[in-house]
Amino acid sequence: MSTRTDWGRREPPLKGSNFELYGWFFMRISGLLLVLLAVGHMFIMHVFNDTLNLDYEFVAARWDTPYWRIFDWLLLTLSLLHGTNGLRVVLHDNLNDLTIRKLALSALYGTSLIFFILGTYVIIAFVSQS
Amino acid sequence: MAYQKIVSSGAVYKGKTGMWLYIFHRITGVALFGYLILHIISTALILLGPEVYEGAEAIYKNFYFRIAEIGLMAAILAHAINGLRIIAVDLWKRGSEFQKQLNIISLVLFIAIFIPSTYKMTTSYFDICLEKSQAGTTLTDCMIRPLPDWKSK
Ligand code: HEM
Repeated sequence: MSTRTDWGRREPPLKGSNFELYGWFFMRISGLLLVLLAVGHMFIMHVFNDTLNLDYEFVAARWDTPYWRIFDWLLLTLSLLHGTNGLRVVLHDNLNDLTIRKLALSALYGTSLIFFILGTYVIIAFVSQS
Repeated sequence: MAYQKIVSSGAVYKGKTGMWLYIFHRITGVALFGYLILHIISTALILLGPEVYEGAEAIYKNFYFRIAEIGLMAAILAHAINGLRIIAVDLWKRGSEFQKQLNIISLVLFIAIFIPSTYKMTTSYFDICLEKSQAGTTLTDCMIRPLPDWKSK
């Protein structure tokens, strides 16, 4: 018996789009950027500073410069996109019923959009009161 | 959007370390997304002014939340380092030849970063707690009580 080497291969879908390929690539690119942004954020907030000292003035001082606002907005946007695309794959893998799957995906996209708008609004609209 | 039915080729995936790492990556990824949503909500309270924001922050200033923060650190470090391992296997030409080595490097890297971070997050908690407490406060007091009067410097 010859050894099969084509396990898991299937015909590419007709009229296929490259969406899944780009999604796969995006997870890797955004992952690399998130190492700087998300891990960096954790170290700045939890190791170099202590979250016990986190108060209103701390945030106001950080957001006094546009650079930290840009850093935080990139972190918000990339982690939401990376997490949403990751969860989209998880839902596709685990929900077989197409109606339930569509409902869950709509809920996911709706939630992500709302939190993207909320987070963006907070980062842009914040004006220190002190 | 048309969904296609995927027919299994009959191959059964019997991974060992790689399979567990895949499950682990999925659990940490979903948990981090859930945390991200909560974190956006609590940070958004900053728009409602210092009282509301700091009132909400005060909920986190106790030792139980410090343990949760260390758990968060573990999740993000593990997901990030394992993510880098996945990227290396997928995008580096010879990545798949060195999977065993990459697993070990990832584990060593995780321990080398996680242990000192945990040390700093723990000792710093007690330092700040003792500094803000009356004389005679013990470490046990710091563990079971919320941080006293955290706004006073
Ligand atoms: C810190 C750096 C990060 C790196 C290097 C990274 C890397 C990756 C990679 C490469 C994948 C794709 C795995 C695959 O295709 O099998 C992935 C999946 C995922 N990531 Fe991340 N990630 C990071 C941060 C985050 C954050 C902050 C979140 C939460 C918002 C997150 C949530 C997810 C989710 C939900 C998945 C899908 C899991 C799955 O399909 O099994 N990741 N990550």
